[in-house]
Amino acid sequence: MSDRIFGGIGLVLAIFFGIQATMIEVAFMSDAVGPSVFPIIVATIMGLASIYFLVKPDPAPDWPQAGRLAEIGFAVLVLFAYAQLLPVLGFVVATMFAAGYLAWRLGSKPVEAVLVGIGTSVGIYVVFRLILGLSLARGPLGF
Amino acid sequence: MELLSSLGDGFLVALTFQNIGLALLGCLLGTIMGALPGLGPSNGVAILIPLAFTLGLDATPALILLTSVYYGAMYGGRISSILLNIPGDEPAMMTCLDGYPMARKGQAGEALALSGIASFVGAFFATWGLVFLAPQLVKVALLFGPAEYFALFVLAFATLGGISSTNQAKAAFAAALGLGLAMIGVDTQTGVPRFTFGEVHLYDGIDFLVAIVGLFALSEVFIFLEHRGTDKDSSTGPKVQIGRIIPPWSMVRSCIPTMARTSVLGFIAGVLPGAGASLGSFISYSMEKRLVDRENTFGTGDPRGVAAPETGNNAAAGGALVPMLALGVPGSGTTAVLLAVLLALNITPGPLLFTNNPDVVWGLIAALFIGNVMLLVLNIPMIGLFTRVLMVPPRILMPIVAMISFVGIYGISGSTFDLVVMILFGIGGWVLRKLDVPLVPIILGTLLGNEMEVNLRRAVTIADGDYSVLFGSPLTIGLWSIAIIGFIMPMVAGKMLKRRMQLAKKTGEDTDLVD
Amino acid sequence: MKPNMIFGRAFAAAILATTIIGGPAAAFEPEATECIAPANPGGGWDFTCRQFGKVAQDIGAIPGTMQVVNLSGGGGGVAFAEVVNKRNDSNDLVVAASTATATRLAQKAYPGNTSDQVRWLGSLGADYGVIAVAADSEVETLPELLDMIKQDPRSISIGGGSAVGGWDHLKVLIAANEAGIEDVRSVKYIAFAGGGEAITQLLAGSLQAYTGDLSEAKGFVDSGDIKVIAVLAPERLEGEFSEFPTAIEQGIDAVGANWRGFYAPGGMSDEAYEYWATTIHDVYESDQWKQVMQTNGLAPLDLSGPEFQEYVDASIARIEELSREIGLIK
Repeated sequence: MSDRIFGGIGLVLAIFFGIQATMIEVAFMSDAVGPSVFPIIVATIMGLASIYFLVKPDPAPDWPQAGRLAEIGFAVLVLFAYAQLLPVLGFVVATMFAAGYLAWRLGSKPVEAVLVGIGTSVGIYVVFRLILGLSLARGPLGF
Repeated sequence: MELLSSLGDGFLVALTFQNIGLALLGCLLGTIMGALPGLGPSNGVAILIPLAFTLGLDATPALILLTSVYYGAMYGGRISSILLNIPGDEPAMMTCLDGYPMARKGQAGEALALSGIASFVGAFFATWGLVFLAPQLVKVALLFGPAEYFALFVLAFATLGGISSTNQAKAAFAAALGLGLAMIGVDTQTGVPRFTFGEVHLYDGIDFLVAIVGLFALSEVFIFLEHRGTDKDSSTGPKVQIGRIIPPWSMVRSCIPTMARTSVLGFIAGVLPGAGASLGSFISYSMEKRLVDRENTFGTGDPRGVAAPETGNNAAAGGALVPMLALGVPGSGTTAVLLAVLLALNITPGPLLFTNNPDVVWGLIAALFIGNVMLLVLNIPMIGLFTRVLMVPPRILMPIVAMISFVGIYGISGSTFDLVVMILFGIGGWVLRKLDVPLVPIILGTLLGNEMEVNLRRAVTIADGDYSVLFGSPLTIGLWSIAIIGFIMPMVAGKMLKRRMQLAKKTGEDTDLVD
Repeated sequence: MKPNMIFGRAFAAAILATTIIGGPAAAFEPEATECIAPANPGGGWDFTCRQFGKVAQDIGAIPGTMQVVNLSGGGGGVAFAEVVNKRNDSNDLVVAASTATATRLAQKAYPGNTSDQVRWLGSLGADYGVIAVAADSEVETLPELLDMIKQDPRSISIGGGSAVGGWDHLKVLIAANEAGIEDVRSVKYIAFAGGGEAITQLLAGSLQAYTGDLSEAKGFVDSGDIKVIAVLAPERLEGEFSEFPTAIEQGIDAVGANWRGFYAPGGMSDEAYEYWATTIHDVYESDQWKQVMQTNGLAPLDLSGPEFQEYVDASIARIEELSREIGLIK
């Protein structure tokens, strides 16, 4: 069943992609092939492959139970929050929280999680900012 | 011989304390940056440019430092592929396929040592190729017009079948997905934005590094989250044995023909601008699988499946220096950065480089030889250290991997948007892995998609809309023939495989195929 | 160990430099200087920032080290929007720019942003455009090439290192326009990822002509593989480049300079604006920068402050007019 759903989504994606491709407006001048041809070929391949899944699906994988899905969902939320808060809080603080959370959810005890968070963020800061000189996000505290 | 005496002069240039020190520093930093997901060779080199400038280095020492980083990163990428199933950079993607299974079987040390040797062999022969063949190879690059490039990319995709999945449709879907992602951004041939939905961040397209780090590294974190504490945990847990560190001679010997073939193949792929190291490692793996994989052991931890892509990508790294030095055309992202450095150092790459700046060229080539030996010597004893990574429990290792992935992307582009896209790729990667859709074709699609389309359009436009130009030269016909053979062969072989699998299934449990 | 020693020395020099610069008598003194390169490390804008920062520090024009921040995306549009929306009042910030920035602004390729939202500071040199053909080509002059295009546009494929509508393309169109080719859209332009790639295809015989910057073409001219039929400069260049004829002296009034320079946030104070314009001018005048210009094949273009503002405004207006004329924008 999973493959059927996947095939359905794939087909919708392919159709969407194909339609978008035909809607590309050429305002100025076009080459002999144009910007739509190759994407349409790609959409066709994608669509054919999706139809194949619909017709001949593989056995379904073991999907995790709701609790586990929620676990992954929360991790995704935390990571999204991390991405947004990075420029606000600064690299070190934001990373400390994100790494600590992941460590905790992956089975570390709270104290260990805090240590992993601090260690990861400071370690990365030292290597990437101080040694390699990359510009990481600067927060209100300057790091 | 004149060439050898020039090379001798090169060694005189390279063998100073300062230059050897720089090569060592470059090799070490390069290996580390190669191993860290998100920091590939091109960014590694770019990051160190300011260092070279701050140190006030002359042209030759600066180049020695930066090319050591380049070669080092090509070595380093394999480490995280083998140990974590996360490619450290894009050319190391193929090394995951057999390297990680080897590590799971308790052969992590052997896989690392073997891939180190394979890297050495590939880079060694490629550097000799650079010495003897650079001028002639330029002519090969000139044989490749847009039509030939298009045929070459078709060939690459035609050999995709059976790379990492028994379901051809899923590989095709993945490739189409990758190609579709590559279409996002401003179309260079007409200047119109495609699939960007008015989002400025998408105008430059999706950086394949963002895709690769999301698909591989973040999805791995999600898989650990999913499996923690369940019975599957044991299979992903830290119970891997490190095993022996030096591979038995029989294993190395079995890989010698593979290394010889893929050195040549990778080198040629590297010489062609626009193909680069990723194509080198990819074609090396898929061709070798076609040639020698009779028992279907590729993908399950076959040593030859580790040796092939590693030889291929290191040979390609050397090969990519040919068009950069002799034509001033970057064959890959990394050589594009090196090219910018050359220009900044008042060296004009191009046909006259070998006559105008012999000290730079030969010093650089000598440094490549030195760096390569240095990397082998550094890498083999350090295997014991690398494999310690496996002793770190995932609850500590995985947060570190995730955060390094983020910082690698953010540190380069400074864009929160890229991070969000990367997380989306992580979720997508997790779903696709559950559904047994191979990830390699997606990356290949995003890497090569633009070049493939653009060359198709260049060829047809130059011929005023005549599509027959795509089959218009002997070289294109040759490439198309190989592509077609490569496409049909796995279909026949795949049928045989399916029959074998069905036989096996009858003896096993009854699985409902319809659901 | 040797590298450590070098490290140490550079570090000591850096400290020395910061202590020596007590404070020039300017009304404005930046705290922490920052340069945004709107591209990944290794690109042209990145180099503009890094080399400018290095020279400015060496000659003591700025206090301490300039921090270079890479902010890529949208062909510079992401950085532009960031400066306008979030850093509008910063007095410590400059952003690397070039003709490509002006072209995109003129063509409205930064959605919602316009040139008057920032203040243009100054230029650090220019790279003049060239049109070249393969050494064995029968074409000897620019009018000859344009005549061939006029007679049969399909017979000539011109390759360049920018996208369609980009600067390398526009240069050809300017020349074609001047030569009286009515429908410039018929000129067959093939876009490549960089000038080097286009030159390779010129040598391979896929293309008949090449449009790009002089610095890209230099190596192949020296080796005798290609010949430059026109430089798009107001007058002949100096030194080794003086042998190339300009388009103007062949009767085609086309000039195309790819300048490099900086803009600053629109809300920057006048004192700070003056400070930065002076700094850019000082850097331009320094011997170190002369060296950088020579190594990068940059020709003189010394404009700063209001002068540069005028220059950019004029060039944006011209590109806009041209783009509208050929239908690139509505």
